[in-house]
Amino acid sequence: MMTSYTKPLPIINDDNRQYWEYCKQHELRMQQCNDCGYIRFPPGIICPRCHSMAAGWVKLSGRGKIYSFVVYRVSYHPSYADDIPYVVAVIQLAEGPRMESDVTGIKVEDLKVDMPVEVYFDDVTDEVSLPKFKAVS
Amino acid sequence: MESLKDKAAIVGVGYTPQGKVPGRSSLSFHLEAAKNAISDAGLKIQDVDGLLVQPAMGDPSVTAALVAQYLGVRVRFLSVLDAFGASAGCQAQFAAMAVAHGLANYVVCTYGENARSGVSEYGTALNGGLEYGLFGPAACYAIAARRAMHEFGTGPETWKEIAVAQRRWANLNPRAAMYTRPMTYQDYYDARILVEPFRLLDICQISDSGRAFIVTTAERARDLKKRPVYIMGMGQDHPATNPQQATFLTGPTGAKLSGEQALKMAGITLKAIDACEIYDCFTYTVEVELMDYGFYGRGEGKDFLKAGRLGPGGDFPLNTSGGLLSEAYQMGFTPLTEAIVQLRGEAGDRQLGVPTGTREPEIILVSNNGGVMQTHSTLILRK
Ligand SMILES: [Zn+2]
Repeated sequence: MMTSYTKPLPIINDDNRQYWEYCKQHELRMQQCNDCGYIRFPPGIICPRCHSMAAGWVKLSGRGKIYSFVVYRVSYHPSYADDIPYVVAVIQLAEGPRMESDVTGIKVEDLKVDMPVEVYFDDVTDEVSLPKFKAVS
Repeated sequence: MESLKDKAAIVGVGYTPQGKVPGRSSLSFHLEAAKNAISDAGLKIQDVDGLLVQPAMGDPSVTAALVAQYLGVRVRFLSVLDAFGASAGCQAQFAAMAVAHGLANYVVCTYGENARSGVSEYGTALNGGLEYGLFGPAACYAIAARRAMHEFGTGPETWKEIAVAQRRWANLNPRAAMYTRPMTYQDYYDARILVEPFRLLDICQISDSGRAFIVTTAERARDLKKRPVYIMGMGQDHPATNPQQATFLTGPTGAKLSGEQALKMAGITLKAIDACEIYDCFTYTVEVELMDYGFYGRGEGKDFLKAGRLGPGGDFPLNTSGGLLSEAYQMGFTPLTEAIVQLRGEAGDRQLGVPTGTREPEIILVSNNGGVMQTHSTLILRK
């Protein structure tokens, strides 16, 4: 248990609660439109491609590659002050959608666009598990 | 349907003290800017019958009705308009429609914020990502910029030209935050890296201040105090998509479609443009938007964008007030009001034409961009 976690937590609302529930179970699932098949993210009530409201939660492989990334060299928030330099990446998932996340287990100097990555879950509190990524060879 | 080309004109512009101006509400900046614009146009308070207000990101408590209340105006056309950084251009467009159709005679468009000294919401993420430490718009645009480095080989070598050129303009503008502070290429490279790949000098600085302008019909404009600036062309394109899924981070941004529409309405090509006032929240934004307007091809910014061309004396004057980077962050009002001042010939030492060894300005392109390139508006203004 990490009750001392001081970083901002996701803002969980009626639209995204199910996503975070799956994360807690260490599953990366996103909404897939039952009508056109588009996988959308962040979660929402309608498909932005066809406006269907019918969707299921498809389990993703968790594999992808780095679409882009930034490295914070100064702290914008006190809870991240000890983490400088840290990375925020956009991950291109194998199934199509992209998501913001962290890439760990690699020096920031070694990060590259298009580098393959794989998801894991970081149980930051009892209630929240963050999907993060590690580089794979 | 009749085109809006040349049907409306901008007839007043209002500034306030800007930079670090503590002890003032964002509302107070809306009001002072509006007052100055009304006076600049030679209008009376009673003439104002339209009001469009862009609230500061950090202060949604400023509503259009509140600004009207404090300005002491009774209007027949009133709204808040918020398309983030694209708002000023959108306000001008809605105002032009209103006056062209007789829904109002004089529409005052305002902006005001005190984010430098007051409460700033710029640190929070526009589109989520706080749980991964994604703080501030700079990082969101840095993600786009990094991708562009990968896709078409841009980078600091190109961005430094934009930063240095705009600083040269700011050094001619007493109102600019960076008026007394020159910048060399070495200064650019020596600047602290905040969010890689962006240095401090790739990023604009938040200001306390307000700005306003007034739109009326072309006919009414001819009888007022100042030389009218006519709206020749206008366009909007709001790609909107959450930046995580966005296909436009490396172009084409909204600049492409909104620009094509505006040029078509104006009946001109890019060759007729004498100067560009381009929303420059970050250096990279300028590069990608000029590319999407069609001034150069994909990835050709590195050859096209040279400080000698973009600065005073150059053949492609860019962001002649110093822009958001070196003058003041007033959202889309910074590029828009600068175009007005230049076309009126009131720009002092930085005046386009003979004083700065550039082309006489007849037509200026104004680009506004907002969100993470999720909103966009274009205006083509002429003398
Ligand atoms: Zn669908």
